[in-house]
Amino acid sequence: MPLQSKAFQRWLHGVAPDASTADVCRIAGIKRTTLAQQLVRGKVAESTLVSISRGFHLNPVEALSTFDLYSDLRGAAVPPTGCELVSQIATIDLLRSVVERSEPGSAPAASLSEPPHPTSVRNWVDAIDDGELRHRVSDATGIAPQNFSAHLTANRLPPELAIATSRAGGVGPAGGLVAGGLITEAEAGWPPNARREALDRMSQSELVTLAGERLLALGKTLRRQEQDHERTERIWENLG
Amino acid sequence: MTAVLPWVTLAVCLAITIARVPSLIRGENRVVFYIFALITLDILLSIEGPYLAIDALLGGINVTNLILRFLLYGTFLLMGIKIAMGFGSQSAVRAIRGPWGLTVLGFTVALTIFFFVITDTRGSTVGMTGLTWGPSMEAYAALGRFYPGYVSACLLPAIWRTIVGRYPALLRGASALLFLGLALLLISQFFPLIPLVHLWLRSLINYSAVLATAIGLAGIWFSKAYSRRKRRLSA
Repeated sequence: MPLQSKAFQRWLHGVAPDASTADVCRIAGIKRTTLAQQLVRGKVAESTLVSISRGFHLNPVEALSTFDLYSDLRGAAVPPTGCELVSQIATIDLLRSVVERSEPGSAPAASLSEPPHPTSVRNWVDAIDDGELRHRVSDATGIAPQNFSAHLTANRLPPELAIATSRAGGVGPAGGLVAGGLITEAEAGWPPNARREALDRMSQSELVTLAGERLLALGKTLRRQEQDHERTERIWENLG
Repeated sequence: MTAVLPWVTLAVCLAITIARVPSLIRGENRVVFYIFALITLDILLSIEGPYLAIDALLGGINVTNLILRFLLYGTFLLMGIKIAMGFGSQSAVRAIRGPWGLTVLGFTVALTIFFFVITDTRGSTVGMTGLTWGPSMEAYAALGRFYPGYVSACLLPAIWRTIVGRYPALLRGASALLFLGLALLLISQFFPLIPLVHLWLRSLINYSAVLATAIGLAGIWFSKAYSRRKRRLSA
Protein backbone atom coordinates (compact mmCIF):
# COMPACT_ATOMS: atom_id res chain seq x y z
CA MET A 1 0.00 0.00 0.00
CA PRO A 2 1.36 3.42 -0.94
CA LEU A 3 2.08 6.22 1.51
CA GLN A 4 -0.68 7.71 3.63
CA SER A 5 -1.39 11.20 2.38
CA LYS A 6 -1.35 12.65 5.90
CA ALA A 7 2.15 11.40 6.58
CA PHE A 8 3.18 12.44 3.11
CA GLN A 9 1.96 16.00 3.65
CA ARG A 10 3.80 16.15 6.95
CA TRP A 11 6.96 15.05 5.14
CA LEU A 12 6.41 17.52 2.30
CA HIS A 13 5.94 20.32 4.79
CA GLY A 14 9.26 19.42 6.39
CA VAL A 15 11.00 19.32 3.01
CA ALA A 16 9.52 22.42 1.41
CA PRO A 17 7.63 24.42 3.99
CA ASP A 18 7.04 27.42 1.72
CA ALA A 19 6.52 25.77 -1.67
CA SER A 20 3.02 25.71 -3.10
CA THR A 21 1.67 22.50 -4.63
CA ALA A 22 2.20 24.01 -8.07
CA ASP A 23 5.86 24.72 -7.25
CA VAL A 24 6.39 21.23 -5.91
CA CYS A 25 4.93 19.68 -9.05
CA ARG A 26 6.98 21.90 -11.33
CA ILE A 27 10.21 21.18 -9.49
CA ALA A 28 9.49 17.46 -9.31
CA GLY A 29 8.29 17.27 -12.90
CA ILE A 30 5.00 15.60 -12.05
CA LYS A 31 1.47 16.50 -13.12
CA ARG A 32 -0.56 18.53 -10.68
CA THR A 33 -3.63 16.46 -11.38
CA THR A 34 -1.72 13.29 -10.56
CA LEU A 35 -0.60 14.56 -7.19
CA ALA A 36 -4.01 16.06 -6.40
CA GLN A 37 -5.69 12.76 -7.25
CA GLN A 38 -3.30 10.79 -5.07
CA LEU A 39 -3.81 13.19 -2.16
CA VAL A 40 -7.59 13.02 -2.49
CA ARG A 41 -7.51 9.22 -2.51
CA GLY A 42 -5.39 9.36 0.62
CA LYS A 43 -2.59 7.31 -0.91
CA VAL A 44 0.48 8.81 -2.49
CA ALA A 45 2.59 6.66 -4.78
CA GLU A 46 6.19 6.06 -3.76
CA SER A 47 7.29 7.20 -7.22
CA THR A 48 5.75 10.62 -6.51
CA LEU A 49 7.79 10.91 -3.32
CA VAL A 50 10.91 9.86 -5.21
CA SER A 51 10.34 12.48 -7.95
CA ILE A 52 9.81 15.21 -5.37
CA SER A 53 12.91 14.15 -3.39
CA ARG A 54 15.00 14.29 -6.57
CA GLY A 55 13.54 17.73 -7.40
CA PHE A 56 14.64 19.02 -4.01
CA HIS A 57 18.03 17.25 -4.20
CA LEU A 58 17.26 14.86 -1.40
CA ASN A 59 18.17 11.20 -1.36
CA PRO A 60 14.91 9.35 -2.16
CA VAL A 61 15.95 6.39 -0.01
CA GLU A 62 16.34 8.63 3.03
CA ALA A 63 13.05 10.30 2.22
CA LEU A 64 11.29 6.94 1.99
CA SER A 65 12.90 5.76 5.21
CA THR A 66 11.08 8.45 7.19
CA PHE A 67 7.86 6.51 6.62
CA ASP A 68 7.19 3.62 8.96
CA LEU A 69 6.51 1.23 6.07
CA TYR A 70 10.03 1.84 4.86
CA SER A 71 11.83 1.89 8.20
CA ASP A 72 14.02 -0.94 6.87
CA LEU A 73 15.78 1.67 4.76
CA ARG A 74 17.00 3.62 7.81
CA GLY A 75 20.67 3.56 8.71
CA ALA A 76 23.71 2.93 6.59
CA ALA A 77 23.14 1.35 3.18
CA VAL A 78 23.71 -2.40 3.12
CA PRO A 79 26.11 -3.22 0.28
CA PRO A 80 24.59 -5.36 -2.47
CA THR A 81 25.70 -8.97 -2.91
CA GLY A 82 27.60 -10.04 -6.00
CA CYS A 83 24.62 -11.95 -7.32
CA GLU A 84 22.38 -8.92 -6.94
CA LEU A 85 24.86 -6.76 -8.82
CA VAL A 86 25.16 -9.22 -11.68
CA SER A 87 21.37 -9.62 -11.82
CA GLN A 88 21.09 -5.93 -12.66
CA ILE A 89 23.32 -6.20 -15.72
CA ALA A 90 21.27 -6.26 -18.91
CA THR A 91 21.43 -9.47 -20.94
CA ILE A 92 22.85 -7.62 -23.91
CA ASP A 93 25.69 -6.29 -21.70
CA LEU A 94 26.40 -9.82 -20.49
CA LEU A 95 26.59 -11.00 -24.10
CA ARG A 96 28.88 -8.13 -24.99
CA SER A 97 31.10 -9.14 -22.12
CA VAL A 98 31.19 -12.73 -23.40
CA VAL A 99 32.34 -11.43 -26.78
CA GLU A 100 34.91 -9.10 -25.24
CA ARG A 101 36.42 -11.92 -23.23
CA SER A 102 36.46 -14.35 -26.15
CA GLU A 103 38.13 -11.86 -28.46
CA PRO A 104 40.25 -9.71 -26.18
CA GLY A 105 41.18 -6.31 -27.57
CA SER A 106 38.52 -6.36 -30.25
CA ALA A 107 36.61 -3.50 -28.68
CA PRO A 108 36.90 -1.42 -25.52
CA ALA A 109 34.66 -2.56 -22.69
CA ALA A 110 31.38 -0.71 -23.15
CA SER A 111 29.78 0.90 -20.13
CA LEU A 112 26.89 -1.06 -18.63
CA SER A 113 23.40 0.30 -19.14
CA GLU A 114 21.62 1.53 -16.01
CA PRO A 115 19.12 -0.72 -14.29
CA PRO A 116 16.34 -1.56 -14.62
CA HIS A 117 16.64 -3.71 -17.73
CA PRO A 118 13.74 -5.66 -19.29
CA THR A 119 14.03 -8.63 -16.93
CA SER A 120 15.49 -6.86 -13.89
CA VAL A 121 12.84 -7.92 -11.43
CA ARG A 122 12.86 -11.62 -12.22
CA ASN A 123 16.66 -11.72 -12.36
CA TRP A 124 16.95 -9.98 -9.03
CA VAL A 125 14.45 -12.31 -7.34
CA ASP A 126 16.18 -15.35 -8.87
CA ALA A 127 19.53 -14.00 -7.67
CA ILE A 128 18.47 -13.86 -4.01
CA ASP A 129 16.20 -16.93 -4.10
CA ASP A 130 17.37 -19.91 -2.07
CA GLY A 131 14.41 -21.95 -3.29
CA GLU A 132 12.04 -21.00 -0.49
CA LEU A 133 11.99 -17.24 -1.02
CA ARG A 134 8.61 -17.07 -2.72
CA HIS A 135 7.00 -19.04 0.11
CA ARG A 136 8.45 -16.74 2.70
CA VAL A 137 7.35 -13.64 0.81
CA SER A 138 3.86 -14.96 0.39
CA ASP A 139 3.69 -15.95 4.08
CA ALA A 140 4.95 -12.54 5.16
CA THR A 141 2.81 -10.39 2.89
CA GLY A 142 -0.14 -12.60 2.06
CA ILE A 143 0.44 -12.17 -1.68
CA ALA A 144 -0.69 -15.20 -3.68
CA PRO A 145 2.24 -16.96 -5.42
CA GLN A 146 0.64 -16.53 -8.85
CA ASN A 147 0.31 -12.78 -8.29
CA PHE A 148 3.95 -12.60 -7.29
CA SER A 149 4.83 -14.49 -10.48
CA ALA A 150 2.69 -12.09 -12.52
CA HIS A 151 4.73 -9.19 -11.16
CA LEU A 152 7.96 -10.90 -12.17
CA THR A 153 6.67 -11.59 -15.67
CA ALA A 154 5.52 -7.99 -16.07
CA ASN A 155 8.91 -6.82 -14.72
CA ARG A 156 7.14 -4.85 -11.99
CA LEU A 157 7.88 -4.79 -8.31
CA PRO A 158 5.69 -2.64 -6.09
CA PRO A 159 8.00 -0.94 -3.55
CA GLU A 160 6.39 -2.50 -0.51
CA LEU A 161 6.74 -5.96 -2.05
CA ALA A 162 10.34 -5.16 -2.94
CA ILE A 163 11.10 -4.42 0.72
CA ALA A 164 9.35 -7.58 1.89
CA THR A 165 11.25 -9.62 -0.70
CA SER A 166 14.65 -8.25 0.31
CA ARG A 167 13.80 -8.92 3.93
CA ALA A 168 12.80 -12.50 3.11
CA GLY A 169 15.94 -12.88 1.01
CA GLY A 170 18.20 -11.54 3.75
CA VAL A 171 19.74 -8.86 1.53
CA GLY A 172 19.92 -5.07 1.71
CA PRO A 173 16.50 -3.39 1.59
CA ALA A 174 17.18 -1.14 -1.41
CA GLY A 175 18.08 -3.81 -4.00
CA GLY A 176 14.49 -4.55 -4.96
CA LEU A 177 13.76 -0.86 -5.37
CA VAL A 178 16.63 -0.64 -7.87
CA ALA A 179 15.40 -3.71 -9.76
CA GLY A 180 11.86 -2.34 -9.79
CA GLY A 181 13.14 0.92 -11.23
CA LEU A 182 12.00 3.14 -8.37
CA ILE A 183 15.49 4.37 -7.50
CA THR A 184 18.87 4.34 -9.23
CA GLU A 185 21.78 2.23 -8.07
CA ALA A 186 23.59 5.38 -6.93
CA GLU A 187 20.61 6.39 -4.79
CA ALA A 188 20.65 2.92 -3.26
CA GLY A 189 24.25 3.49 -2.28
CA TRP A 190 25.74 1.00 -4.70
CA PRO A 191 29.32 2.00 -5.58
CA PRO A 192 29.54 3.37 -9.16
CA ASN A 193 31.62 0.52 -10.54
CA ALA A 194 30.17 -2.24 -8.43
CA ARG A 195 28.32 -3.99 -11.24
CA ARG A 196 31.30 -3.84 -13.59
CA GLU A 197 33.57 -5.23 -10.86
CA ALA A 198 31.14 -8.03 -10.04
CA LEU A 199 31.02 -8.88 -13.74
CA ASP A 200 34.81 -8.90 -14.02
CA ARG A 201 35.05 -11.18 -10.99
CA MET A 202 32.98 -13.83 -12.73
CA SER A 203 34.94 -16.67 -14.29
CA GLN A 204 34.48 -17.37 -17.98
CA SER A 205 32.36 -20.43 -17.27
CA GLU A 206 30.10 -18.59 -14.81
CA LEU A 207 29.62 -15.76 -17.27
CA VAL A 208 28.85 -18.02 -20.23
CA THR A 209 26.48 -20.16 -18.17
CA LEU A 210 24.61 -17.12 -16.90
CA ALA A 211 24.41 -15.62 -20.39
CA GLY A 212 23.08 -18.96 -21.62
CA GLU A 213 20.40 -19.04 -18.94
CA ARG A 214 19.38 -15.49 -19.78
CA LEU A 215 19.20 -16.32 -23.49
CA LEU A 216 17.13 -19.40 -22.80
CA ALA A 217 14.65 -17.37 -20.77
CA LEU A 218 14.61 -14.66 -23.42
CA GLY A 219 13.92 -17.26 -26.08
CA LYS A 220 10.93 -18.55 -24.11
CA THR A 221 9.55 -15.05 -23.66
CA LEU A 222 9.99 -14.24 -27.33
CA ARG A 223 8.33 -17.45 -28.39
CA ARG A 224 5.34 -16.70 -26.17
CA GLN A 225 5.11 -13.18 -27.55
CA GLU A 226 5.26 -14.50 -31.09
CA GLN A 227 2.47 -16.97 -30.34
CA ASP A 228 0.34 -14.24 -28.78
CA HIS A 229 1.01 -12.08 -31.79
CA GLU A 230 0.01 -14.85 -34.18
CA ARG A 231 -3.24 -15.46 -32.31
CA THR A 232 -4.07 -11.77 -32.32
CA GLU A 233 -3.35 -11.54 -36.02
CA ARG A 234 -5.59 -14.53 -36.71
CA ILE A 235 -8.51 -12.85 -34.96
CA TRP A 236 -7.94 -9.66 -36.92
CA GLU A 237 -7.50 -11.53 -40.17
CA ASN A 238 -10.88 -13.21 -39.78
CA LEU A 239 -12.91 -10.50 -38.12
CA GLY A 240 -11.10 -7.23 -38.74
CA MET B 1 -37.26 2.41 -23.42
CA THR B 2 -38.09 -0.90 -25.07
CA ALA B 3 -39.78 1.08 -27.85
CA VAL B 4 -36.58 2.98 -28.62
CA LEU B 5 -34.16 0.10 -28.19
CA PRO B 6 -34.98 -1.64 -31.53
CA TRP B 7 -34.45 1.57 -33.47
CA VAL B 8 -31.22 2.32 -31.64
CA THR B 9 -30.04 -1.19 -32.41
CA LEU B 10 -31.02 -0.79 -36.05
CA ALA B 11 -29.20 2.55 -36.29
CA VAL B 12 -26.04 1.12 -34.72
CA CYS B 13 -26.00 -1.95 -36.96
CA LEU B 14 -26.74 0.10 -40.04
CA ALA B 15 -23.94 2.54 -39.19
CA ILE B 16 -21.45 -0.31 -38.76
CA THR B 17 -22.59 -1.89 -42.03
CA ILE B 18 -22.13 1.38 -43.89
CA ALA B 19 -18.73 1.84 -42.27
CA ARG B 20 -17.75 -1.56 -43.70
CA VAL B 21 -18.55 -0.53 -47.28
CA PRO B 22 -15.05 0.81 -48.09
CA SER B 23 -13.52 -2.48 -46.90
CA LEU B 24 -16.08 -4.35 -49.00
CA ILE B 25 -15.06 -2.40 -52.09
CA ARG B 26 -11.39 -3.03 -51.37
CA GLY B 27 -12.24 -6.70 -51.04
CA GLU B 28 -11.10 -6.99 -47.42
CA ASN B 29 -12.93 -9.63 -45.43
CA ARG B 30 -16.18 -9.38 -47.34
CA VAL B 31 -17.85 -11.91 -45.05
CA VAL B 32 -17.69 -9.43 -42.16
CA PHE B 33 -19.71 -6.98 -44.24
CA TYR B 34 -22.25 -9.69 -45.03
CA ILE B 35 -22.52 -10.52 -41.33
CA PHE B 36 -23.27 -6.92 -40.40
CA ALA B 37 -25.65 -6.52 -43.34
CA LEU B 38 -27.49 -9.66 -42.25
CA ILE B 39 -27.69 -8.48 -38.64
CA THR B 40 -29.11 -5.16 -39.84
CA LEU B 41 -31.68 -6.95 -41.98
CA ASP B 42 -32.59 -9.22 -39.05
CA ILE B 43 -33.24 -6.19 -36.87
CA LEU B 44 -35.21 -4.43 -39.59
CA LEU B 45 -37.53 -7.40 -39.87
CA SER B 46 -37.96 -7.52 -36.09
CA ILE B 47 -39.37 -4.01 -35.93
CA GLU B 48 -43.11 -3.58 -36.23
CA GLY B 49 -43.36 -1.00 -39.05
CA PRO B 50 -41.07 -2.67 -41.60
CA TYR B 51 -42.30 -6.12 -40.60
CA LEU B 52 -45.98 -5.33 -41.20
CA ALA B 53 -45.21 -3.58 -44.48
CA ILE B 54 -43.24 -6.52 -45.86
CA ASP B 55 -45.58 -9.16 -44.49
CA ALA B 56 -48.53 -7.42 -46.10
CA LEU B 57 -46.81 -7.93 -49.46
CA LEU B 58 -46.23 -11.60 -48.66
CA GLY B 59 -49.84 -12.43 -47.86
CA GLY B 60 -50.15 -11.39 -44.23
CA ILE B 61 -49.64 -14.87 -42.79
CA ASN B 62 -46.31 -14.08 -41.09
CA VAL B 63 -44.17 -15.71 -43.78
CA THR B 64 -41.85 -12.79 -43.07
CA ASN B 65 -41.22 -14.27 -39.65
CA LEU B 66 -40.20 -17.56 -41.25
CA ILE B 67 -37.86 -15.65 -43.57
CA LEU B 68 -36.47 -13.85 -40.54
CA ARG B 69 -35.71 -17.21 -38.92
CA PHE B 70 -33.76 -18.35 -41.98
CA LEU B 71 -31.88 -15.08 -42.11
CA LEU B 72 -31.01 -15.49 -38.44
CA TYR B 73 -29.77 -19.04 -38.99
CA GLY B 74 -27.65 -17.79 -41.89
CA THR B 75 -26.30 -14.93 -39.81
CA PHE B 76 -25.26 -17.28 -37.04
CA LEU B 77 -23.80 -19.85 -39.40
CA LEU B 78 -21.58 -17.22 -41.05
CA MET B 79 -20.74 -15.44 -37.82
CA GLY B 80 -20.08 -18.69 -36.00
CA ILE B 81 -17.65 -19.95 -38.62
CA LYS B 82 -15.76 -16.64 -38.77
CA ILE B 83 -15.55 -16.19 -35.01
CA ALA B 84 -14.53 -19.81 -34.43
CA MET B 85 -11.80 -19.52 -37.06
CA GLY B 86 -10.66 -16.15 -35.75
CA PHE B 87 -10.50 -17.24 -32.14
CA GLY B 88 -8.67 -20.37 -33.20
CA SER B 89 -11.10 -22.96 -31.91
CA GLN B 90 -10.94 -26.01 -34.17
CA SER B 91 -13.59 -27.79 -32.12
CA ALA B 92 -15.99 -24.86 -32.53
CA VAL B 93 -15.35 -24.76 -36.28
CA ARG B 94 -16.17 -28.49 -36.46
CA ALA B 95 -19.24 -28.10 -34.22
CA ILE B 96 -20.63 -25.40 -36.49
CA ARG B 97 -19.44 -26.23 -40.00
CA GLY B 98 -18.65 -29.92 -39.63
CA PRO B 99 -21.13 -32.73 -40.37
CA TRP B 100 -22.59 -32.56 -36.87
CA GLY B 101 -23.07 -28.79 -37.03
CA LEU B 102 -24.71 -28.92 -40.45
CA THR B 103 -26.98 -31.74 -39.25
CA VAL B 104 -28.07 -29.59 -36.31
CA LEU B 105 -28.76 -26.72 -38.69
CA GLY B 106 -30.63 -29.00 -41.12
CA PHE B 107 -32.88 -30.36 -38.39
CA THR B 108 -33.51 -26.88 -37.05
CA VAL B 109 -34.53 -25.62 -40.49
CA ALA B 110 -36.73 -28.64 -41.20
CA LEU B 111 -38.47 -28.47 -37.83
CA THR B 112 -38.90 -24.71 -38.12
CA ILE B 113 -40.72 -25.16 -41.43
CA PHE B 114 -42.75 -28.04 -40.02
CA PHE B 115 -43.99 -26.11 -36.99
CA PHE B 116 -44.67 -23.04 -39.10
CA VAL B 117 -46.82 -25.03 -41.48
CA ILE B 118 -48.89 -26.79 -38.82
CA THR B 119 -49.55 -23.56 -36.93
CA ASP B 120 -52.32 -21.20 -37.88
CA THR B 121 -50.29 -18.09 -38.56
CA ARG B 122 -52.92 -15.83 -40.07
CA GLY B 123 -52.91 -12.27 -38.79
CA SER B 124 -49.69 -10.40 -39.31
CA THR B 125 -48.03 -9.34 -36.02
CA VAL B 126 -44.37 -8.75 -35.37
CA GLY B 127 -42.80 -11.56 -33.36
CA MET B 128 -46.16 -13.31 -33.91
CA THR B 129 -47.10 -12.12 -30.44
CA GLY B 130 -50.69 -11.42 -31.53
CA LEU B 131 -51.41 -15.07 -32.34
CA THR B 132 -52.80 -17.70 -30.05
CA TRP B 133 -49.79 -19.54 -28.67
CA GLY B 134 -50.24 -23.29 -28.72
CA PRO B 135 -47.55 -25.93 -28.26
CA SER B 136 -46.56 -25.82 -31.94
CA MET B 137 -46.07 -22.08 -31.72
CA GLU B 138 -43.91 -22.50 -28.61
CA ALA B 139 -41.82 -25.09 -30.42
CA TYR B 140 -41.43 -22.79 -33.41
CA ALA B 141 -40.23 -19.95 -31.18
CA ALA B 142 -37.92 -22.22 -29.21
CA LEU B 143 -36.25 -23.41 -32.43
CA GLY B 144 -35.63 -19.81 -33.41
CA ARG B 145 -33.77 -19.31 -30.15
CA PHE B 146 -32.08 -22.70 -30.21
CA TYR B 147 -29.73 -22.37 -33.17
CA PRO B 148 -28.25 -18.98 -32.16
CA GLY B 149 -27.88 -20.41 -28.65
CA TYR B 150 -26.16 -23.51 -30.02
CA VAL B 151 -23.65 -21.46 -32.02
CA SER B 152 -23.06 -19.18 -29.01
CA ALA B 153 -22.37 -22.14 -26.75
CA CYS B 154 -19.76 -23.38 -29.25
CA LEU B 155 -18.01 -20.00 -29.34
CA LEU B 156 -18.04 -18.87 -25.72
CA PRO B 157 -15.07 -20.93 -24.42
CA ALA B 158 -12.68 -19.65 -27.11
CA ILE B 159 -13.83 -16.06 -26.64
CA TRP B 160 -13.38 -16.39 -22.89
CA ARG B 161 -9.79 -17.55 -23.37
CA THR B 162 -9.15 -14.39 -25.36
CA ILE B 163 -10.67 -12.17 -22.68
CA VAL B 164 -8.38 -13.58 -19.99
CA GLY B 165 -5.36 -14.08 -22.28
CA ARG B 166 -2.45 -11.84 -23.22
CA TYR B 167 -3.96 -9.73 -25.98
CA PRO B 168 -4.23 -6.00 -26.68
CA ALA B 169 -6.58 -4.32 -24.20
CA LEU B 170 -8.97 -3.09 -26.89
CA LEU B 171 -9.24 -6.55 -28.40
CA ARG B 172 -9.97 -8.04 -24.98
CA GLY B 173 -12.62 -5.41 -24.31
CA ALA B 174 -14.28 -6.06 -27.67
CA SER B 175 -14.15 -9.81 -27.03
CA ALA B 176 -15.80 -9.24 -23.65
CA LEU B 177 -18.69 -7.41 -25.35
CA LEU B 178 -19.01 -10.20 -27.89
CA PHE B 179 -19.00 -12.69 -25.03
CA LEU B 180 -21.74 -10.76 -23.26
CA GLY B 181 -23.90 -10.66 -26.39
CA LEU B 182 -23.58 -14.36 -27.08
CA ALA B 183 -24.09 -15.23 -23.41
CA LEU B 184 -27.38 -13.30 -23.46
CA LEU B 185 -28.47 -15.49 -26.37
CA LEU B 186 -27.82 -18.52 -24.19
CA ILE B 187 -29.89 -16.96 -21.42
CA SER B 188 -32.68 -16.39 -23.93
CA GLN B 189 -33.18 -20.17 -24.03
CA PHE B 190 -35.03 -19.71 -20.75
CA PHE B 191 -37.56 -17.26 -22.15
CA PRO B 192 -40.54 -19.55 -21.55
CA LEU B 193 -39.83 -19.13 -17.82
CA ILE B 194 -40.42 -15.39 -18.09
CA PRO B 195 -44.10 -14.58 -17.52
CA LEU B 196 -45.85 -13.07 -20.52
CA VAL B 197 -46.55 -9.85 -18.64
CA HIS B 198 -42.80 -9.26 -18.72
CA LEU B 199 -42.46 -9.43 -22.48
CA TRP B 200 -40.36 -6.26 -22.37
CA LEU B 201 -37.67 -8.25 -20.57
CA ARG B 202 -37.42 -10.62 -23.52
CA SER B 203 -36.99 -7.83 -26.00
CA LEU B 204 -34.52 -6.08 -23.69
CA ILE B 205 -32.38 -9.24 -23.58
CA ASN B 206 -32.68 -9.80 -27.34
CA TYR B 207 -31.73 -6.30 -28.39
CA SER B 208 -28.98 -6.01 -25.78
CA ALA B 209 -27.58 -9.26 -27.15
CA VAL B 210 -27.57 -7.92 -30.70
CA LEU B 211 -26.09 -4.59 -29.65
CA ALA B 212 -23.31 -6.18 -27.60
CA THR B 213 -22.51 -8.68 -30.35
CA ALA B 214 -22.46 -6.07 -33.12
CA ILE B 215 -20.45 -3.53 -31.13
CA GLY B 216 -18.10 -6.28 -29.97
CA LEU B 217 -17.48 -7.43 -33.55
CA ALA B 218 -16.99 -3.84 -34.68
CA GLY B 219 -14.68 -3.35 -31.70
CA ILE B 220 -12.43 -6.17 -32.91
CA TRP B 221 -12.23 -4.44 -36.26
CA PHE B 222 -11.55 -1.13 -34.51
CA SER B 223 -8.81 -2.66 -32.35
CA LYS B 224 -7.09 -3.85 -35.52
CA ALA B 225 -7.31 -0.43 -37.19
CA TYR B 226 -6.11 1.23 -34.00
CA SER B 227 -3.11 -1.05 -33.65
CA ARG B 228 -2.18 -0.62 -37.33
CA ARG B 229 -2.37 3.15 -37.03
CA LYS B 230 -0.30 3.15 -33.85
CA ARG B 231 2.33 1.01 -35.52
CA ARG B 232 2.41 3.31 -38.56
CA LEU B 233 2.81 6.38 -36.39
CA SER B 234 5.58 4.82 -34.32
CA ALA B 235 7.39 3.56 -37.41
